[in-house]
Amino acid sequence: MSDSSPLLEVTDLCTTFTTPTGPVAAVSGVSFTLNHDETLGIVGESGSGKTVLSRTVMGLQPRRNVVVTGSSRLNGVELVGASEAEKRRVWGLEVAMIFQDPMTSLNPVMRIGKQIDEILRVRRGLSRSAARDRAIELLELVGIPSPTQRYREYPGALSGGMRQRVVIAAALAGSPQLLMADEPTTGLDVTIQAQILNLLDDLRARLRMSVVLVTHDLGVVATRTSRLVVMYAGRVVEVGSTRDLFARHRMPYTRALLEGSPRLSNPAHTRLVTIPGRPPNLAQLPAGCSFAPRCAYATAQCHVERPELQPADGLGHYFACWNPLPTPTGVS
Amino acid sequence: MTRYLVRRLVTFVLVVFVISVGAFYLIHLLPGDPAAVILGTGDSPANRTKLYAQLGLNKPIYEQYVVWIKNVLHGNLGTSFISETSVWGTIRAAIPIDLEIMFISQILAFAAAVPLAMRSARRPDGWLDRVLSAGSFTLLSIPSFIAIVLLVLFVAIDLGVPHTGVSSYVSLTSDWVVNLESLALPSIVLAVGSFVVYFRVLRSDLIATLQEEFITMARSKGLSQRRILWRHALRPSSVSVLGAAGVNIGGLLAGGFIVQYLLDIPGLGYTLIQAIGLSDYLVVQGIVLVVSVGVVLINFFFDMVINLVDPRIRRE
Ligand SMILES: Nc1ncnc2c1ncn2[C@@H]1O[C@H](COP(=O)(O)OP(=O)(O)O)[C@@H](O)[C@H]1O
Ligand code: SF4
Ligand SMILES: [Mg+2]
Repeated sequence: MSDSSPLLEVTDLCTTFTTPTGPVAAVSGVSFTLNHDETLGIVGESGSGKTVLSRTVMGLQPRRNVVVTGSSRLNGVELVGASEAEKRRVWGLEVAMIFQDPMTSLNPVMRIGKQIDEILRVRRGLSRSAARDRAIELLELVGIPSPTQRYREYPGALSGGMRQRVVIAAALAGSPQLLMADEPTTGLDVTIQAQILNLLDDLRARLRMSVVLVTHDLGVVATRTSRLVVMYAGRVVEVGSTRDLFARHRMPYTRALLEGSPRLSNPAHTRLVTIPGRPPNLAQLPAGCSFAPRCAYATAQCHVERPELQPADGLGHYFACWNPLPTPTGVS
Repeated sequence: MTRYLVRRLVTFVLVVFVISVGAFYLIHLLPGDPAAVILGTGDSPANRTKLYAQLGLNKPIYEQYVVWIKNVLHGNLGTSFISETSVWGTIRAAIPIDLEIMFISQILAFAAAVPLAMRSARRPDGWLDRVLSAGSFTLLSIPSFIAIVLLVLFVAIDLGVPHTGVSSYVSLTSDWVVNLESLALPSIVLAVGSFVVYFRVLRSDLIATLQEEFITMARSKGLSQRRILWRHALRPSSVSVLGAAGVNIGGLLAGGFIVQYLLDIPGLGYTLIQAIGLSDYLVVQGIVLVVSVGVVLINFFFDMVINLVDPRIRRE
């Protein structure tokens, strides 16, 4: 695959859950691309659809009671509407996922080593001993002390931070080109969070992977991503280079996120204090801008007409807002 | 693990002690002079003298227990004064039949329950799940003694499968074909009852496990559905079903008694019912002791298996 074509191309992706109380539009019309060796951040309040989006992108949404439309192409291979068998070929080897909570994403009754080398044995056909050696190497790579002993232990014997390292090792085992990391540090202690994020950064550079880093915490993505996708109520409301979004964001919601960017010490999913009101009910979205009920800049138009993404410059910065914030003086 | 094992072993010994006291005291609970109870139709001055020597009946009751338990620990459950044979010998002849029925029925039950529970759990409320759940619920409501009559009437007679048999029973080692034929019916009846329990317990645990994040993680590795079910979902879902098996097998012994009696299969149940009929209380006492200890052993065994299967329990 040549480096000029994007690794991941997501176009107008929609994920709608069929629930007893009606359809829930968890992801609506999301588009973005991710190039090789790039790190993309997906940010947004808790409940804005980041997890659903990152799973739908790789085709990992729940199998039942869900409708997915649009397109998600990994290395040119369409994953929306692909059969489970087609997706299985890609999963693990081309794209792997790191889950939010390492306390639940590891199988509690399976030895750590097995959870890492399974993919090598089953998918890559390595021998038992070769897979074992590789798994121990991977444990070492993610910074787990005495990996040979750890290999035989169950996840319960490890701390949260160590477990997340195991999850990372398991994700790396298939040598994927794309790593989807869904709030990989949200459940961890502050000091451990930084360690894990630095580890991910380091691995990405060393292994030449692309990473999608999902977080509700802009502090996490500030220095670690080149571009950001900002989500609200299942939609992309602003997208651009990380530098542009920090310096020249145009959406009031993006600003609110930045101002409310929680300290690393905040527990998972604390509602951002600076954004008053609650996230909208996805089953009954307002007609206009979803953020209107909570927006200090909302006008009458905001309540009736939904703003589409529009270019802020010619450089890949887009926002969806009728009353965009002014750019700082001295800049275009 | 070792601490847990020691704790379990201590409990095990205590429970067995209590059972032994109960079994010992059984004779004294029956109305009348214990010697008369034990001797039954074999009551003669000569036998009385022998029995007093055998059980130390003129000593205080706790000393009697000590005498009795010492004998039991040496494999001596006494000699029946009614059949004039060793009680342990009678019991030992019956045990293999129960073990065999138990073994076959459990293999059958698990062989059916595990794959079917997986199929059901894959699509809860799918048509297969509905059929299996409704079917198992119907089976659950049929007691084993009705099931056996139905099986004899509608299956065994038509197929020419033996359905009655003290006379026709032969041991596994002498002719395994005839042996399996004669034990097929009781094994199937007990298997059906067990299957229903295991299927239902495992199905609901599997459904819960399949919602877990680690299953999504296994999916994200590109593993096959089959592998996810067998390697990732089954083990964490099997604690309840193994616990149910431990309890169920104990209950099956009792259910098996009725089935044995109805089919004339000379296992422990059949022997027990006969001994009660003959007022052969040493045999009754022996069977109560052996079966109770057996039930405790089975539970102990399943506890150990659960421990091996789920490391989370070991840490508690
Ligand atoms: N299986 C599902 N059925 C119905 N609604 C769902 C399901 N999964 C997620 N949702 C809804 O989708 C929305 C987005 O959730 P999520 O992607 O987890 O948000 P985030 O990861 O940004 O916190 C939530 O409102 C949630 O209730
Ligand atoms: S469109 Fe209106 S309501 Fe929505 S963010 Fe912009 S100003 Fe606020
Ligand atoms: Mg999430």
